Amino acid sequence: MTAPFPLPSAADAQRLLSPEEMEAALRDIGARRYHNLHPFHRLLHDGKLSKDQVRAWALNRYYYQAMIPVKDAAVLARMEDASLRRVWRQRIVDHDGDSPGDGGIERWLKLAEGVGFRRDYVESTQGILSATRFSVDAYVHFVKERSLLEAIASSLTEMFSPTIISERVAGMLKNYDFITKDTLAYFDKRLTQAPRDAEFAIDYVKQHATTPELQRQAMAALTFKCNVLWTQLDALYFSYVAPGMTPPDAWTPGTGLVPDADTPKAAGTGTIGPTDVPRLPRGVRLRHDEVRGQYVLLAPERTFDLDANAVAVLSLVDGIRSVRDIAGMLAEKFAADRSVIEADILVMLNDLATKRVLER
Amino acid sequence: MNALTPILPAPVGLLAELTHRCPLRCPYCSNPLELDRRSGELDTATWQRVLTEAAALGVLHVHLSGGEPTARNDIVEITQTCAKLGLYSNLITSGVGGALAKLDALYDAGLDHVQLSVQGVDAANAEKIGGLKNAQPQKFAFAERVTQLGLPLTLNSVIHRGNIHEVEGFIDLAVKLGAKRLEVAHTQYYGWAYVNRASLMPDKAQVDQSIRIVEAARERLKGQLVIDLVVPDYYAKYPKACAGGWGRKLINVTPAGKVLPCHAAETIKHLEFWYVTDHSLSDIWSKSPAFTAYRGTDWMKEPCRSCDRREKDWGGCRCQALALAGDAAATDPACSLSPLHAKVRALATEEAAETPPDYVYRTIGSNVDRDVRAPLTEEAPL
Repeated sequence: MTAPFPLPSAADAQRLLSPEEMEAALRDIGARRYHNLHPFHRLLHDGKLSKDQVRAWALNRYYYQAMIPVKDAAVLARMEDASLRRVWRQRIVDHDGDSPGDGGIERWLKLAEGVGFRRDYVESTQGILSATRFSVDAYVHFVKERSLLEAIASSLTEMFSPTIISERVAGMLKNYDFITKDTLAYFDKRLTQAPRDAEFAIDYVKQHATTPELQRQAMAALTFKCNVLWTQLDALYFSYVAPGMTPPDAWTPGTGLVPDADTPKAAGTGTIGPTDVPRLPRGVRLRHDEVRGQYVLLAPERTFDLDANAVAVLSLVDGIRSVRDIAGMLAEKFAADRSVIEADILVMLNDLATKRVLER
Repeated sequence: MNALTPILPAPVGLLAELTHRCPLRCPYCSNPLELDRRSGELDTATWQRVLTEAAALGVLHVHLSGGEPTARNDIVEITQTCAKLGLYSNLITSGVGGALAKLDALYDAGLDHVQLSVQGVDAANAEKIGGLKNAQPQKFAFAERVTQLGLPLTLNSVIHRGNIHEVEGFIDLAVKLGAKRLEVAHTQYYGWAYVNRASLMPDKAQVDQSIRIVEAARERLKGQLVIDLVVPDYYAKYPKACAGGWGRKLINVTPAGKVLPCHAAETIKHLEFWYVTDHSLSDIWSKSPAFTAYRGTDWMKEPCRSCDRREKDWGGCRCQALALAGDAAATDPACSLSPLHAKVRALATEEAAETPPDYVYRTIGSNVDRDVRAPLTEEAPL
């Protein structure tokens, strides 16, 4: 069976690479294919997703987290060397914990609960996308069916994860008021665990990929794994960002949540969603400032200087149109993707709502 | 103009002190010790001209203040003029006396925002501070009508040792009254507050505690209540940019039409202030001696002159520099870089530790000695 994935460079596949060249080639795969480059992650980290879109991510990603120890147990089962197993089994301990309430899966459940899910709903995985299940299952099958070298090489995406984690944590804390540091505790541990695991795996691969053919297999395995991650985000984007085609059985906003997950704190406050109708309350006015040649938003004891985009949005805020209507009008006007605009303007509108100058 | 800021900035805010008359007698009032009498107040037409000139000059916000602005018979007309000119009108009121009776008409006139003062949470304490019996229920009734009308409400609480234990209570009160904003403003020691400083100054531990309470509440009430915190100068590291910098953002017109760069500027006796009855607002802003005196950075001495914060805090407050250092062009002693800073802080600590003297209540025609306190010197021990 040959790898159905493109290799980084045809020329490199013809000769035996030095260990340094091999590592560089593997890192190059990550630089071009790792899922930090996926548009969905850009939206996630920049605070451009709605709370429900973040929920969809947390819910689906749980299946991946939950299957990681299954995958690692499959790898472990193929190791005939006790010293290898001693190292590898640490991954299972990290994810499953030593006791109930401990470990990476538990911390992911905390994250899902932090964004409003019921624990039992998340654990049931009944709301995940089929594409998530297929991708994750393909990964488990891969490590069972391919060589041990390929199985270990496929774990090397951990080399790239510290960057995405620090980007993600900083971005999510900054951009989402429903995300707290506690919610993201999962990633704190991974910042130290991932580099340790990756170091072992890369040494193993460099040592055991002793022919051009084996090196090519290792690279293909890492490419495959990048695609496992990428495909999951494609599915999320397709279902929950644009074009918004959610499969019949998949999670839809409002289900699987704890009862008061979205109850606003007081009238007129709380997170503004796509179907909400924003309005400028009395005492907040959009005005052109002739003296300074710009539009300003006048509010109690404050003046907001507005850029052209903010003016375009706020001019359409009339207490009748929903966020989605406004996004649609702007999408037409600027010939852009409505979902992307909607995500953008939700960030801006929620920022103004936090400052108490916009209501719904 | 000086080289660093070649372009004259346009003013953003006009503080219109429509009258010095007020039913309250707060001992920290920012009005001057010599209050204008009703007979000397500008008439309606003059205020309307001032507002028109202000709008043309670039002013966006008008703070209708006093005294108690609703004590003016023409407050509704003045508010209408603001609305007609597109000016954002902010009523800064005590909510007592005739305020409630005029509120609906002010709403109809296009009033944008109400800032209501609260002196304390406990009624007896609040009424002792404000010097007016039965004020608290009137304020609550006023607040209720403001939110019923759908006007945005800000509560303003001036904090001092007589109410610093109520900071948590002010926050709860703001939520209860449906305010969107709360100002927790530690007393700034000018005017009447300077005279009453020993009665008002809290100690450092109380100040720190109040800041912690505000920070926790900001987190808890995010998206529901915005809390602005003004920390007390004497315990600060750097001074505040008074009025956003002298002659940069704010114009203050007194009841008699005198134009000031800030409400306390009259304490600097050598300054020459112009009146709206003699000059256009534009001329006063750009050319009057009082506005040009400390605009920009050319007037600065060391350590301000070479300080990299000179265009952030603009040397702090000129009035405080005069009051505490005896020189209006000195570094504000509230700044930790001032040679007098340690003394200011020691003085605050000392006064906060003493039994507070009785308040000297604000009154029109009082004969309070303006020079009740001598400036600090670098040599003289306190």
